[in-house]
Parts: sequence; structure tokens; C-alpha cells
Amino acid sequence: MSQAEHRAGSRQDRLLRAVEEAVHLLPKQGPIGVFVHHNTLHAFEDLTFEQAVIRAAHLFGAEPYMSEAAYRAELARGRIRLEDIDAVLDSEPDAMVFPRLSRHSLRRAMMTPGVREFDAATILWRTEQGDLSRDFHQPALRALFEACFDRAVAHEEDAAPPRPVDEAIHPWLIRLCSVFLDQGMAYWPMPNRERGFYESVRTLLARRGGVFPRYLTGLDDEFRRQESHSFSAADAVLDYLDSQDLAEAEWGGVLQSELLALPGWAGLMRRLEEDPALAPHEPVPCSLMDFLAVRLTMTRVASRMGAAEAGSEEPPLKTQERRRLSRAARLYDAARVVSLSADEIIRLSGAEWQAFVSEVGACNGLERRRILHLAYERRHEREILQGLASHRRYRCCSDRTDRPAAQVFFCIDEREESMRRALEEVNPQIETFGSAGYFGVVVDYKGIDDPHGAAFCPVVVKPRHAVLEQPKAEDSALLESRRLRRRILGRLMRNSFVSSRTLMRGWLSTTALGLLSAVPLIGHLLAPRRYARLREWMNREFLPEPRTELTLMRNSAQSQEAVRGLLVGFSAAEKTEAVASVLRPAGLARGFARVVLILGHGSSSLNNPHESAHDCGACGGRRGGPNARLFAAMANRPDVRAALRQRGIDIPHDTWFVGGYHDTCSDDVELYDLTEVPPAHQADLDRLRESLDKARALNAHERARRFEGSKVPVSPEVALRHVEERSEHLAQPRPEYGHCTNAVCVVGRRSLTRGLFLDRRAFLVSYDAGQDPDDRSLAELLAAVVPVCAGISLEYYFSFVDNDRYGCGTKLPHNVTGLVGVMDGHASDLRTGLPWQMVEIHEPVRMLFVIETTPERLMPVVNANASLKRLTDHRWIRIATIDPATGRVHVRRDGGFEEFDEPVERLPVALTSTEWYAGKLQHLTMAWIQGQGVRRGSASADETHGESKAYTAGSTREGRAGGQ
Amino acid sequence: MDLLQATLVVVVLAPGVVFAVFGLLWLTGWVPSERVLSRVTGATFSSSVFGLAAIVGKLLWTRTPSVEVAFGNWFAVHNYHFPLVLMADRLSLPFLGMTVVLSGLIGQFSATYLHRERGFLRFFLLLHLFAFGSLVAFAAGSFDLLVGGWELVGITSVLLIAFFQQRTAPVENGLRVFVVYRACDIGLLVAVFAMHHWAGTASFAAGLPKLTGGQTVIACLLLLLAAAGKAAQVPFSEWLPRAMEGPTPSSAIFYGAISIHAGAYLLLRVQPMIAQSALVSGLVIATGVITAIHGTIVGRASADAKTSLAYASLTQVGVVLVEIGIGWKSIAIVHVLGHAMVRTLQFLRAPSMLHDYHMMRSASGGELSPTGKHLEDLFPKGMQLWLFRWALDRGHLDTILDRLVVHPLVRLSRAFATLDHIGLGQPMPRQREAAISGRSSAGVGGD
Repeated sequence: MSQAEHRAGSRQDRLLRAVEEAVHLLPKQGPIGVFVHHNTLHAFEDLTFEQAVIRAAHLFGAEPYMSEAAYRAELARGRIRLEDIDAVLDSEPDAMVFPRLSRHSLRRAMMTPGVREFDAATILWRTEQGDLSRDFHQPALRALFEACFDRAVAHEEDAAPPRPVDEAIHPWLIRLCSVFLDQGMAYWPMPNRERGFYESVRTLLARRGGVFPRYLTGLDDEFRRQESHSFSAADAVLDYLDSQDLAEAEWGGVLQSELLALPGWAGLMRRLEEDPALAPHEPVPCSLMDFLAVRLTMTRVASRMGAAEAGSEEPPLKTQERRRLSRAARLYDAARVVSLSADEIIRLSGAEWQAFVSEVGACNGLERRRILHLAYERRHEREILQGLASHRRYRCCSDRTDRPAAQVFFCIDEREESMRRALEEVNPQIETFGSAGYFGVVVDYKGIDDPHGAAFCPVVVKPRHAVLEQPKAEDSALLESRRLRRRILGRLMRNSFVSSRTLMRGWLSTTALGLLSAVPLIGHLLAPRRYARLREWMNREFLPEPRTELTLMRNSAQSQEAVRGLLVGFSAAEKTEAVASVLRPAGLARGFARVVLILGHGSSSLNNPHESAHDCGACGGRRGGPNARLFAAMANRPDVRAALRQRGIDIPHDTWFVGGYHDTCSDDVELYDLTEVPPAHQADLDRLRESLDKARALNAHERARRFEGSKVPVSPEVALRHVEERSEHLAQPRPEYGHCTNAVCVVGRRSLTRGLFLDRRAFLVSYDAGQDPDDRSLAELLAAVVPVCAGISLEYYFSFVDNDRYGCGTKLPHNVTGLVGVMDGHASDLRTGLPWQMVEIHEPVRMLFVIETTPERLMPVVNANASLKRLTDHRWIRIATIDPATGRVHVRRDGGFEEFDEPVERLPVALTSTEWYAGKLQHLTMAWIQGQGVRRGSASADETHGESKAYTAGSTREGRAGGQ
Repeated sequence: MDLLQATLVVVVLAPGVVFAVFGLLWLTGWVPSERVLSRVTGATFSSSVFGLAAIVGKLLWTRTPSVEVAFGNWFAVHNYHFPLVLMADRLSLPFLGMTVVLSGLIGQFSATYLHRERGFLRFFLLLHLFAFGSLVAFAAGSFDLLVGGWELVGITSVLLIAFFQQRTAPVENGLRVFVVYRACDIGLLVAVFAMHHWAGTASFAAGLPKLTGGQTVIACLLLLLAAAGKAAQVPFSEWLPRAMEGPTPSSAIFYGAISIHAGAYLLLRVQPMIAQSALVSGLVIATGVITAIHGTIVGRASADAKTSLAYASLTQVGVVLVEIGIGWKSIAIVHVLGHAMVRTLQFLRAPSMLHDYHMMRSASGGELSPTGKHLEDLFPKGMQLWLFRWALDRGHLDTILDRLVVHPLVRLSRAFATLDHIGLGQPMPRQREAAISGRSSAGVGGD
């Protein structure tokens, strides 16, 4: 008895392990309200990128790269050059297929002019009426085809078999999942939810008196049987596995394919099991085992009822024939592009023919796309490195020695690149820096209107400190009335929401008040901006905002929050640490301006379930305003400054920090705590605000060029109105393009990129290797920045190359479900990934990190961090370095670094950014923007001095900082 | 034809002309730019709104009850004739107004929403065809003409459900809706035949056809069938959630506003006939009551935005039917108009659900008052579970329909197919047989 028990226990353990193994393939996306970008194929990071995309393609039935036609189009327009293809081919081993044909020449010909794709489904039509039938008009080609056909044998992998059982069980399963995970949308919550998915579903479905569809007849009996045995979820799963006579070795495969049939729902169950706190409103006890138990019980009943046999099948002979034809067509096309004749095919020996067949087979569509993709990325890499090297050599601006008018910290986000450039163009006396948008402040923040605190920091760290926003003493009465009025407003909304849907209240409300809906309807659609202004005005009038302060101080370790054990506020040492963690890596230890602005960012849009995906990734998919405000408050404290001085960061007494928030959608900029600003700084701040206002309009203008429907705004002011309208338009599926243009991440001083038009494509991380002798800052920076940027880049990559499988398709039929995600229509899998409207102008390349250091200094840092090492070694990201002293560029290839040795040419010059992008819709190459950056030494002086000038430029900062 | 009549004709024909012109141009290979299309759409519907406003103003000013345009007969055979009569009276004007206003607003919305979508032109062509169809149906002076508009509404509705043709689910669901529509439209067609047979006319421009008591009952029942299908009343309700596969704006205008109320219009049109018979009135009320209860319970257990809106619509349309059955015509019209506005806005704002809930929750201090409690108080525990399952499977209506109608029909047609081949003395090609059985059973399995 005890032995049997022991065995059963271990069986359950083994089941648990099998589930754990199957689980890692599920999407990692949590509830959609807080969207965090991550590598779609995170489960495959132990493989190299090229292997992983193929493995995943087979497993998920997804596309690994863009389509061949897309790469061909890029080839045609010069985005890929033939030399790129040759370079990629040359970097891989060559061999002779048979004496007259080498692998490279075969592959080259198969790529350009290129072969066509053939498949068994369309081959008959194509030989009878399509392109092949036209080929056959030429006798030579016809003979060639026949020669290939004679020697071709059908041998092809089967497509994944259809799963007819899914069709029988999914309608029920989807509905059950959606009511179980519902966060309050259904008026009537699912009964017994607290008992978990399996038990609540079992209790629900085991009741007598139900009607089930044909293939699920007997589901209630089955659940009743399980109920009578008081099965746990694991018991039910084991029971199913036993009923199918499956050996334990097969469990993993079966469970995996069951889970991957509805990956979105299963994945969310898993995420909420791992971290119940992710549930936005109502925590539900999720467990993947529960999900499997329900799913497998349904599968069992459906297969018993014969759903599995319902699929259609083709007669095997016919299929064989078609496959042979399509295979012959592939060989024929390859033979055609290398100009083999029918005679030559016939004369090939058996071994030669075999070699030819296997070479053509090896260079199949996937392989061609891999090569084309590498060529595509190579061209991108060349352009970026060329541009940076050229800028570094010929243009690199010297750092000034006089005091800048202001210093502004932005998030590293590539959307801020244009904003920084615009600000520097508007006022060349302003310096900008890039630092991950949580600005070193890891905090659980609760604003005055928030019911709960939330973590404002990268998802990989857990905050230990809580900060509350509180009204100033004199405004506390105002807050009370605001709360009261908000409560009334909330109740009103809630009531009208519920009552429009119910029977009796719905009757009264729609009959009596229904026509009033015409006001918002017409307002939203015909005058979106005016309507938004009206709403804003009403909000301001009805809900006055109190002035607030933050509970920043913590004097003793005792002041802990009761509920979650968080420390309330930061101690002086913690504040100092936070401030130093931003200033030091950025190389800003001295030479502070009178005003230093910290700008967090986020994005607001209307009618957009994916709104949070546009917010700050470094703040865990939230809006980074509070972090910036906190940072400024910390840095303004005298005790913090004193402590910083001890650590070599000398903030003068006449420097004032201001926090702010940049809305990347409407390009609105808001500054915090302006009442605290000392009068002496008022004038400096006013000048800065004036520059910011000009810059955000310019930024809007640059963004607007990418929006096809934006009627090419004439002036920056019009463009600003245009982007504001976008963020307020009910019908706008693309309020902004988000990270759509991400491609590069430059870690280095701003002098490396200042005055360079990067087309909003580069994350910019401020880092000064000269002030980081032991590479500690570099290690910290890369550890924080690389996973975030790589996650964004790879999520965009996969959502773009296969928007249906890896992304969530077009937004238009999306249907918000349970406040946790979106479905297509009324019953589909939960769609994860990014919608097409968010990725449509993306260039799918792996992110290229260009780090201003040397390979010798970089590699120990990378190797010391497991996650960095994995991403780099397995080529999920691309890495290059620029030597801070010499400007020499190295690119990481397999295992080592290779010097980038192309001749460095001068970049095109434009007077302003606007001049460079005017009238262009596409991605643009780099250019020097004359209007900024090079004021100190004139451009011509720079050019005459060339390399040596750049070298001095590099060392100026080091000398000034004097930290070493 | 005076100016008033001409205006009515132009308002009704305008979207049809736009559809025809762009459709023909498209056939010749010309694809208009998005801007041209949205400008034309905007111009069409905004001038229609002004045109209709002028008609309403004129009618009020001159205190005329209606305006009629007779084009004579399309054809006449013996005592059967197909009169082409357009008419705008106090019943059709609200519906006409609702159609042009909402079509215009939806056009405006879609021009932005569908920007860069592959089916942009297709969507707008269908939108115009739909508007034309509903204008014809609402302005028709005879049931013959009404059938034409009715069918256009049906077919555009199906084509927009299947808008995303590259995926299987929209196409399957579109097909299902199509079949329900066709089955129920039989009611309308047979009713028209019957009226011709009995009264010699199906025109109602000069008063409803004169029928005897029994004939009235039969005609009304047939029309009720047609109206119930279009308005997704029980037992046909299950096509409504399936119709949510299309783009959000088309869901809004069809199932929040116009198409869903077309059945109510038909019943309002024959309301004097319905009122003649207690039996028919009772049936209309019963259908409405059952649907309203069905809708409200099923809707309460729906956790996704569009399904819960679909059932909310259904509930109110059920109530409208009750009002018609009782004879409250004006209330029904006001109810339809108000409901259409509310629902259109809600459908269009459906993607804002996350935002709205966040707002409501944070405004109320973190907790929302729980809902559904009185349902739990009302029913005993066991009953609750039963009812929740019933609601979750949407009253089992689909399942029952499958078992009682779809499966027997499939079996029957398969039997006929076999019989056919035995008669021909040929073995049935395996492939086709497999394809047929695969298709039908997959369709059934997917329900």
C-alpha cells in the first residue's frame, strides 16, 4: 500500500516535470493592461538565433524570416546588395556539387535570379495553367522539366496534421477560460472560481440537465465520474494519459501539443499561476494543471465521440503524385537558373544527381531566406557602422568647456532620439543624455488617484521601497473633494455602463436618454480635438487637482508599510545611490548646468487595448513620470548632494533638478514641482521650456512624416496638432508607431552621435568609458539595457515576420476579453504579441549594439553575465564596439571580433533634420545635421584635423572629469 | 415629380450609385485612393442628412403625413404587378434618418480605422451597398421592394462578417449567419406571395393589403419569422455573437444599430395587422419576452466586450418587440433610435474597455461594487450552476439547432448523394465524398 502510494506520488512528480518541460514554449505575455516587451522565442534562447527560428517555425507552424518575395523586393530596391549576398555566402563553407557546379554558384543563382516556391497544393494548376505551363512553351525547358521529373522521387515532409478534435472542444474551452480569468467584465462572475479552474469547471459541467454538442456528448458523465473519484487535476491528467496507453516518455510531446493548440489562454493561465499579482483586478487561482485536466477531459470525450475522424483526407496516391511533381518543379527551377540542360541532367551519374538533389534540397526556401536575411542585416550593419565611424572621424564635435544652458536626461528609448536631436537643434547650448527611463529609482508608487501602488521599474527587479503621492497640507481639502467627486463620477459611469446592458434599466435608459449618446458619438468622430478639449476643460473644472508632494523621506528603518512590507521612502544613502547610478555611467560628474531636466516618458491614446505597449519598457510598461519626479526631488536634497560629493560627483549649489514627463504620442511635455523651483532659476527654466516647446513641435513634425494619412504637415505647429489629434481620436489604430523603427542601440557618449540623423532608430545610452576604469558602470548598464532592448527588438522582429502566428494580427476585429487580453471575434485564442498596425513599418533586424569601448574591455563584462552571454553567443543581438580613443570599429562575429575595415566615407550633410527628411516616407540613411553639434570647432577645422582632432575630442571629457 | 420627391429619390439612390460607380471602376482595374473614397462617402452621407432634414422640415411645415414617389410598375402580368413606390412617412423617416446619420458617422470612423487595410475599398463598397439596401427597405412602399433592400442588408452583413477572408473562423461564421438569414427570409418571401395571392397586391403605400382574419394571422406569422431571423430573436439568436468577426465599425452599425432593428421596422410596418389578432400579438410579445430574458441572462455571463454588447442589443430588441406587440408604436420608435445611438457608441468604444474599467475602479477607490449578487440570491445553489452553464452555452440554442436541424439535413443530403451515385451506376469519387463529409462535419464540429 505505502509502496503504491509512493509510486503514485512519484508518478505525479514525473507528470509535473513533463508539464514543466512543455510549459516553456508558451507565450510569456501577461494581462494586456501592462504590456512588457520580451523575446517571443525566449524558450529557444539556448539555441542560436538561426536554429531557433527554424525549430520554432516547425513547432508553431510559423515563419522564421520575412517571405522570400519581401527580401527580393529589398534586393530590387537596393536595400540588399549582391555584394551582401556574396559576403554571406563567402563566410560559409563551399563545396563542389559536381564538377561543373559549386555550391556557392548554385546558391547564388537560386537566390538571384532566384527560384520559385512550389508546393503540392498548387502544383497541378501551375503546370496546367500557371507559370510552369508558360515555361513549357519553350521546348528546352519542357525537356528539362521532364528530365527532372523522371529522376525525382516524392519525398517530402508532411505538414502538421490537422487537429479536428480542437474544433469540437475549443468553443466550450475558450468560453470557460474567458469567464474564469475574467477581471470583472461579466456581470455575473463564474461560480466557485476560488476553487480553481478544474474544480469549478467540473462542478459546473457535471450538473445534470445540460445539452452538449454532438462531439461532447457525455462530457457531464465524464466529469461526474471524475467527481465521484474526487480526482485532483493531476489525477485527471494522468487518467487521460493512461486511457491513451501512453508511455511516460511520450507525455511531454502530448502535453506540449495540447498546450500549443491554444497557446494564448494556456500561457496566460501559466503567467497568472507564476505571478498571481499580475491579475489587474481580481486574483484568480490559476494552474496550468487545471487547464490541462479540463482540456484533456474534453479531448477524451471528443475523440471517443469520433471527432478525430472528422478531418478530410486526400487519397494517398494523388497526394504522392503531386508531391513528386512539386519536387520535380523545384529541381527543374534550380537546374534552369544554373543553365543546365535536359541532356546534362540525364547524363548525371547517380551520385551526382543525388548530390544535386540534396544541395537543392538544402538550399530550400528557409535556407534562402536565412541567407537573404543575413545579407539584409549585413547591409544595415554596414550603413550604421559606416555612419558612426564617419561621424567619429570627420565630425566628432568637441565637448564644450563653457557651461551648457541646460542638461536634459531622456530615456534611452529610440523614440526620444529625434526629440533630443530637435532640442539640440533648437538650442545648441543644451546637452542631452540617455538613461534607462526609470532613472535608477526602483519604486512602488501610488499617485493620488491610484487605488493601489504599482512597481515602476524594469520587470526583472522587485521594488523594496514605496512612495506615496500626497496633497500638500494646504490642499488636502481639495483632495477630499476631488476624491468625492471622482467617486460620484465613477459610480455614474459604472451605473450607466451596467444599466445600458440590463433588461429593465436598459429599457428605461436607452429609451429616455439614448439619443444623448449622439453627442459624444458626433463629438468624437467629427471634431475629435475640440471634443477632447471640452472633456479636458470639464475635467479641470469638475476635478481640480491639488498640488502634491512625495513621501520621499525615510528616517528610520521602522517605517514599513503594513501590507507588503515595503519601506516607505528612501534613506539618504539609498537616494544617493539612486542618483549616482544615473549620473556616473552617463559620465556626468562635473560641469552641471544650472538646470538639469529629467524627462520620463509614456504614451496616451484612446480606444487602444495595446496602449501600455507604448509606455516605458524600463518602467515595466508604465509611464515614467513619477520616476523622473522622484529622481529630481532626490537630487535636489542637500544631504544627497553632500554624499555625492564624497563619491566624486560634484553638483554645484546653483544647479536645480526638475522632473518631467514626455508623452511620446501627443508630444506633450509636462514639468513637475515648478512651485519649488528657486526664483533664481526661473529664467533658466523659462528658456528651457521655450526650447522644449519648439523641440516637441519639431519632433511631432518628424514623426508625422511616417504617417501616411497625415497630409504632410506644413509647419511644426500643424504637426503638433496632428499628433495631438492622433492621441485623442477614437478611430485611430496607430496613435503612434512606438518602437516600430528600433534597430540600433548606441552605448557611448553623446558626442558619438550628436548632430547625426539617426531617424528615430537608435536607442541612445549615455556611457563614458573614460570615467569607468573598472568597467563596473558598463556592466550595470548593459545588464539593465541589453535585455530590455533585445526584448523589444525581438518582439518586433517576430511580430513582423509572422504577424498571424507571433503577433496578434490586425487590430480591427480585436475583442477585449475579461480585461486580460484580446481575441479575434467572439471566440478565438487569446492573441499575444503585437498587432500589425504597430509593426507595419518595421525593418526586422536583430538589434545592433554599438558600444563605445574596446572588445578587450567589453568581453569580460559580457561573459560575466549569463543572460548577456547567451544573447551574444547565440546571436540574438549583434554587437560592435567603437574604440573611445582611436575610433576603430570592431564587429563581433562567431566567437571573436573582426575589425570593420571598409573605407570610411563622408556622410551627406543637411542644414536641419527637417531638410533631410522632408517629403520622404521611408527609413532614411544617416546624415550630418549642420545646424547643431559642430558649432565649437567649425566643420572645416574638424575635417582638416581628422583623426587626431577626434582623439582630442574624446579626451577632453576625460580631462575635465578628472575622476581617475 | 416635385422637389420633395426628387430629394427622397436622391437620398435613397445616392449610396447605391456610389457603390455602382466605384464597383464598376474597380472592375476596370482602378482602385480609388483612400482619400477619394472617404471624401465621397462623407459627401454622400452628409448631403443625405441635409436632404432628409429638408424632407422632414417640409412635411412638418405643410403638415403632410408622408411623401410618395411612384415610378409605375416594374412589370405587370395579369393582375400581378410589381409597383416601384418609394415613400417616407412617420415610420420610415426615423429609420431613414438613423441610417444616413449612422452610416455617415461609421464612414468617418472607418476612414481612419481601416487606413492601410487591404480591404479598404471592399469595406466602403459594402458600406454603401448596405446603406442603399437599408434605405430601400425603409423607404419601400411595397413589400416587393422591401424584399430587395432586405436581401441587400443580409448579404452585405454576411460579407462583412467574413471580411477577413484569409482566416477560417470569419468565413465559417459568415456562412452560418447567411444560412440563418436565408432560412428566415423564406418567411418574408412567402408572405409576399401570399399577399399577392389573396389581396392582389403587396403594396402598403395606400394602406396595408386587405386580408381576412385567418390570412392576416398567416401573413403576420410569416413576417414574424423573417423579423425574428433578422433581429436574432430566440431561437435564432446564436448567429449574433458569431457576427462579431468583422471589423469593429461594421459590428457597430449592423448589430448595434441598423440591421438588428430592421426586423422591428418590418413588424412596425405591419403593426395594424398584428394588432388585429390577439394570437399574433401574443406571439410577438412572447418572442420579445423570451429573447429579452435570454439576452439578459446570457449577456451577464459573457466576459468579452463584443459578445456582451451583442446580447445587450438583443435584450433591448426583445423589449422593442414587446412594445410592438402591445401596440406602443411611438415608444418603440423612440426606443429603437435611442438604443441604436447608445449601442453604436458602445461598440465603437469597445476597445476602451480596459481603460474604462481602470477609470471606474480607481475612481471608486479600488473596489467596484460586485454585480450578479441578486442572481445568486434569487436562485438556489444548484440552480445557479445549471443557469450559469446554460448562459455560458448561450441557452444551448446552437447545439439544439445543430442536433434538430443541421445534422439531420447533412445526413439526408449525404443519403441523397449516395442514392444519386447508385442511380448513375458510378462509384462516388473518393476525394469529393471525403471533401463533402469533411466540410459538413467540420462545420458541425466547430459549433
